[in-house]
Amino acid sequence: MKTVHATELMEKVLLKNIESPNSTHIEEYRRVGGYRAIEKALRMPPQQIIAEVKSSGLRGRGGAGFPTGMKWDFASRDPKFPKFLICNADEGEPGTFKDRPILERNPHLLIEGMVISAHALRSERGYIYLRGEYPYAKVVLEKAIEEAYEAGFLGERILGGDFGFHLSVHQGAGAYICGEETALIESIEGKRGQPRIKPPFPVNVGAWGMPTVVNNVETLANIPFIVEIGGEEYSRIGNPDCPGPKLFSVSCCVERPGVYELPMGTPLKEIIYDHAGGIKGGGRLKAVIPGGISTPVLTPEKIDCPMDFVSLPKYGSMLGSGAVMVFDERVCMVKVCWRAMRFFEHESCGKCTPCREGTGWLRNILERMETGNGWKGDLELLRDIASSMAGKTFCPLGDGAAGVVLAFIKDFSEEFEYHIENKRCMVTG
Amino acid sequence: MKIQEEIKGYLERYPDRRGALLPALYIAQRKAGWLSQEALEAVSEALDLPKATVRGVATFYAMYRQRPMGRHLIQLCTNVACMIFGAERLVDLLKERYGLEPGGTTDDGRFSLVIMECIGACDRAPAMLVDTDFHPGLTEEKIESILEGYE
Amino acid sequence: MIKLTIDGREVELERPVTVLEAAKRVGVTIPTLCYFEGLPNFGGCRLCLVEVERLPKLQTSCTLMASDGMVVRTETEQIRAARRAMLEFLLINHPLDCPYCDKAGECTLQDLVARYGPEAGRFAEGKRKHPESLDDPIIVRNMERCVLCTRCVRMCEDLQGAYAISVSGRGGHSLIEPFSGGRYDCEYCGNCLTVCPVGAIMSRLHRHSYRPWFVEREVETVCGYCGVGCSMVLQVREDSIVRTIPRFGLGLNNGLLCVRGRFGYDAVDGEGRLTTPLIRVEGRLEPVGWEEALAFVASRLGEIKDSHGGRAVGAIASGRCTNEDNYMLQKLMRFVIGSNNIDSAARFHYAPAEAFLESVFGQGITANLIPGIADSDGVFVTGGDPTAINPVLGLQVRAARRSGGKVIVLGPPGGLKRFVDHELVPMPYSDEVVLSAIVGGLMEAGRSSGENRAVEERLKELRLPSEEELSAAGIGPEALARAVDDLLKMTNPVVILGPEIMDGARASKRLFLVGAVAYLMNARIYLLSERPNYQGVMDMGCVPDLLPGGGPIGLEMLRDRIEAVLGLRVPEEGGLTLFEMVDEAERGGLRALYVMGEDLLFSLPDRARVQRALGRLDLLVVQDIYLTETAAMADVVLPAAAWSEKDGTFTNLERRVQLLRRGRYPRAGREDWRIIADIGGRLGMEKTYRSAEEVWEEVTHASPLHAGLGYSEIAGGGAVWPYHSEPLKGTEAGFAVQGLGELPGVEAPGGPYLMPERPLFHSGTLSRRSRALLSIHPEPYLVIPPSLSEELGVTDGGRVRVVGAKGTMVLKVRIDPDQREGTVLLSNTFEGANFAGLVGFTADPVTGCLTIEDNTVRLERVDDEAL
Ligand SMILES: Cc1cc2nc3c(=O)[nH]c(=O)nc-3n(C[C@H](O)[C@H](O)[C@H](O)COP(=O)(O)O)c2cc1C
Ligand code: SF4
Ligand code: FES
Repeated sequence: MKTVHATELMEKVLLKNIESPNSTHIEEYRRVGGYRAIEKALRMPPQQIIAEVKSSGLRGRGGAGFPTGMKWDFASRDPKFPKFLICNADEGEPGTFKDRPILERNPHLLIEGMVISAHALRSERGYIYLRGEYPYAKVVLEKAIEEAYEAGFLGERILGGDFGFHLSVHQGAGAYICGEETALIESIEGKRGQPRIKPPFPVNVGAWGMPTVVNNVETLANIPFIVEIGGEEYSRIGNPDCPGPKLFSVSCCVERPGVYELPMGTPLKEIIYDHAGGIKGGGRLKAVIPGGISTPVLTPEKIDCPMDFVSLPKYGSMLGSGAVMVFDERVCMVKVCWRAMRFFEHESCGKCTPCREGTGWLRNILERMETGNGWKGDLELLRDIASSMAGKTFCPLGDGAAGVVLAFIKDFSEEFEYHIENKRCMVTG
Repeated sequence: MKIQEEIKGYLERYPDRRGALLPALYIAQRKAGWLSQEALEAVSEALDLPKATVRGVATFYAMYRQRPMGRHLIQLCTNVACMIFGAERLVDLLKERYGLEPGGTTDDGRFSLVIMECIGACDRAPAMLVDTDFHPGLTEEKIESILEGYE
Repeated sequence: MIKLTIDGREVELERPVTVLEAAKRVGVTIPTLCYFEGLPNFGGCRLCLVEVERLPKLQTSCTLMASDGMVVRTETEQIRAARRAMLEFLLINHPLDCPYCDKAGECTLQDLVARYGPEAGRFAEGKRKHPESLDDPIIVRNMERCVLCTRCVRMCEDLQGAYAISVSGRGGHSLIEPFSGGRYDCEYCGNCLTVCPVGAIMSRLHRHSYRPWFVEREVETVCGYCGVGCSMVLQVREDSIVRTIPRFGLGLNNGLLCVRGRFGYDAVDGEGRLTTPLIRVEGRLEPVGWEEALAFVASRLGEIKDSHGGRAVGAIASGRCTNEDNYMLQKLMRFVIGSNNIDSAARFHYAPAEAFLESVFGQGITANLIPGIADSDGVFVTGGDPTAINPVLGLQVRAARRSGGKVIVLGPPGGLKRFVDHELVPMPYSDEVVLSAIVGGLMEAGRSSGENRAVEERLKELRLPSEEELSAAGIGPEALARAVDDLLKMTNPVVILGPEIMDGARASKRLFLVGAVAYLMNARIYLLSERPNYQGVMDMGCVPDLLPGGGPIGLEMLRDRIEAVLGLRVPEEGGLTLFEMVDEAERGGLRALYVMGEDLLFSLPDRARVQRALGRLDLLVVQDIYLTETAAMADVVLPAAAWSEKDGTFTNLERRVQLLRRGRYPRAGREDWRIIADIGGRLGMEKTYRSAEEVWEEVTHASPLHAGLGYSEIAGGGAVWPYHSEPLKGTEAGFAVQGLGELPGVEAPGGPYLMPERPLFHSGTLSRRSRALLSIHPEPYLVIPPSLSEELGVTDGGRVRVVGAKGTMVLKVRIDPDQREGTVLLSNTFEGANFAGLVGFTADPVTGCLTIEDNTVRLERVDDEAL
């Protein structure tokens, strides 16, 4: 039976008007109310914008869920100038494609969000770090930036005031780790994208040693709305601990995969069954990865979990990027786990020992199992290697890789054992 | 046009020359489809950066190519969603139909194939990029007819 | 004050450091692989994990800052397990070839595995393969053994500043590589070898012949190549030197070396090392015994002295020999033969520059400590590339820049290329125009303090260039103004002065102007020194007009003093400089010349003339380690002991007296001082000596500068001259400068100027005896700018005929995009293809330095078929 949830009545904020064929054009964006928040924001003192963002309770949508207002506050208190604002559009987490509709269909919302944020931070230079795999988004964004310059929303003296902001796209080149903010900064500086030692944090020592705020696309796209309706009002949407609208990208075995804008805290079950149309072909749910491939897999009995930063950890996983990957009975968990590990091995930056060596070793073992060459004791070995990595890697990539294996072999151990013992797959034979 | 010229517009975007390194590598790569030692030297000269440094950066990123590529580059995703919807079959098909191995180039130099990690098209899996064109929802029939469009 | 507890020990810290460093202070050593003191922290190997109370995860102590109240444990079962796991990860792709690996015995990985395990690997899959690279003559790379700690890359980038290697690839496919992927294109400092904790980057020189336990003895000594005086350790086995290494905490180089110091130690084992004394018999040099040779030299010297007087005898001392050697040669000349004719190749640049600057600013003006350069906020360099002439001093300039100092270079920047804020490269021989403009700019900014009236008076005579004249000299007025602006902002500046500032007419004016820049900026001056002991040569009195200790020979007080100490008389008559000795020999006035450790035919220009002059001598004695071109002309050749074969002292360009210690016994030669003392004894010198230390003992009495400075004081390393002695700053004496009121225009020469190259990989002719250095830089070449290559139609490696005023040579060219227009370079290293053979020379009338003449050359392409 279909559960009716108040969220269906919610007006779209982030994906507003994206169905319009002209949604990327500045006139169309302005026609539906775009670039109005900017006028309001430029009249507000920077500190007041930060205060609004703080009171909104907005938490970063890039995966870690750090309170955005707090991050801005740190950066703005640092006396060094210039300051940099970077939009993290590296969206590389497998299963994640939630930023893509904004980048490809609603670029001006992001630009408006960035200009307001820059004003709040007194930053005069911004970059959109766009993954290399989104060439179309690059075209769209560059066109939109051009339009925004022409319309006076970017450049010197925005809207005739004394605030100026320059924005450009920095194209990544195929490195998932560059989504991690310090690796991203290295990459913008023209270096190998390896994460930096923290502290110091980017808010104090970021790009070119200057205070730098890195925010996800979706985070920044929330800003105009917060300015428009005020932080207080915004904080009433969804879960009060981490409020606001949230984009969920739903994929794999569902009837209607796609990006859904829903309030934070919408139950996983509702996302899968009501919005994404349930399991494809009426199959039975076997497992869900709730927040992108790096987040631990959940078993079906956990799907009443509300999808937000505070609830998922209680269910043994994380919200991550909000990328819901749904697997039915026909999907082999060993194979998914192997493929995930191949990804981590490929994307490990090589800086730290456990991730560089461990991901390859894990992939090797999983590959053996998957192709019917598993050995007795492999499961323990997997667990041992993954535990040796967990908590000891330099950055969360390696930790995530370990967590994936640990979750899979915990909840689906029969499937792994079946592979080892029968030298073939339990589901595909 | 020399890299020096093309890079000019990028230089002003960054506080120092090194910032323009990733864009400069893209520019250099556009000329031949890959980054030869000569191309890396040209970039190093254009930005006045040490050659070894440039090489170190170029080889870190998967989308900078270390080997000559065919006229068209097929970047096929085989990550989880695409895998579930048959990306591996498509890889086999490319091998049977065009003799194209992952990481390889067809004998006639028409296509190169690179296996991708997630390209953000999981809702329309399996998907690929051919050069900069995005092609979602691939099937065995579809992929062939799409590729026929690339000479 | 930060207080924390590490393994139960209380640590108190004045300023924040990492937990790793804090632990070290209380004697707790935490295992590490990627950490290296002095390099930026990395945090990649994850071996230094520790437990910190109240933090849920293990922390890397190399990146975690110690904070108040922390309670740290560094060796618990959990930590040991984690370290074992990290080591197991490292071993899965690491070959287990310790028995074969040259690093065994000093390999950190090996040691750590022995301590933490694992006992057996559980990795069953195939290891990553990557064949050992033998593409380079010096450095072997074995990337299967690499643990990707990146210490080498950080060393290369952050300390050495060479940027020659980087990590390429990503993740498990990462490798350390030079740009080519094979051969290195680098400075070959070898400092990457020092920091590699495993057997991934190693020297080829002792491949498969070195094991730490082979080393029987380690001897701390000082490098014999240049005037920096880096400390190093000779590792000795069976009376051979198997390796030289620097050591952190030892010497002013603190763990760093340059290519010459690290790899050039085999120069003493080159082919043709002299094995026995030789005497010319019927035109041929024949081997004789030591007795015969020494007696022969003594009797011939005695005869010439008796028949022509002491003034008919001269001697050439050596910047490669020790203070003791040079002192003894000086003693023989002055006090036994009775001649002040003693000089050395320091005469070319170093000695006159120092003498001139001291005459203007007082004694000791260039005695400044090298490590002070890195701390300065501004460096003005002119007259040569410090990173090639004195490489480890050059690193200090790079370090100053890295920590925010501004670097201004007048002249081609060479190895400072990536470390320059203002690169002022004037037209050839136009430096004085630019220097005048800089001085003008500083004076205009009111930098005249009135402290040195003599200098300021003379500066009033200075004719400043107009903007047009400056532009004609190749420097835009705005560029100059910007540089002056930055000069004015420096608060703790340094001026570094190389030999090339003396090239061309009016050397005194340029020296004076550089001195004036330093004076107006209140900067410390450093004088680059191409030989390890040019300073010592001067200090030992191997200068016609100076006594040991640097006092002028004319000062009665000093003469009396030394005569009293030695009981011998200083000759009255003034002595001849090196150039005057050549002239006198040519004229027939000089009858005998004693040459110690100097290849005059190579180092002096105008080979034909020098050959003629030496040919007219009645007696030419050459004491050297090889049969040099000069030795081949000698009447007697005496084989000497080389740098690593003797005890003694060198005085570096800071005037730090440092101990040289014997690494091994010479195969045939004898210490220079001993040979000379033996000859002296035969000529009536009463005093005898048993060791270098005894010679030095006498120096400390004879020289007021070295009073009280015994070997035991020197051994500490802190013996900066003068020691327990007179203050540095003397009074301002009168001084002469030429041409302050004139400003010559820039003339277009008839062809490119040939200038001497001072290459990094070579050092005079000694380095061409080193197989290692030769393998890096095997053959001579003429460096030309790209414009000339187009004009001549030659490509890199093609040949040209160089027609100079004094000779003609066919040379390979090397096209260097950074080579200054209108100039070509040739080093003075290789037989048959050297700078000195092509040009003429004269002595500068004011300073007495070497002035190259007639150095425009004509170049013609030579097609290979024509050869
Ligand atoms: C391995 C790794 C990959 C990441 N990838 C992304 C990404 O693709 N996009 C993103 O916005 N954040 C990514 N993040 C999170 C960023 O480090 C950072 O937290 C985020 O950009 C901050 O923005 P927010 O505060 O708006 O969430 C990644 C983090 C890690 C450790
Ligand atoms: S965990 Fe280590 S190797 Fe892996 S991506 Fe992070 S820093 Fe790089
Ligand atoms: S020494 Fe700390 S991580 Fe390597």
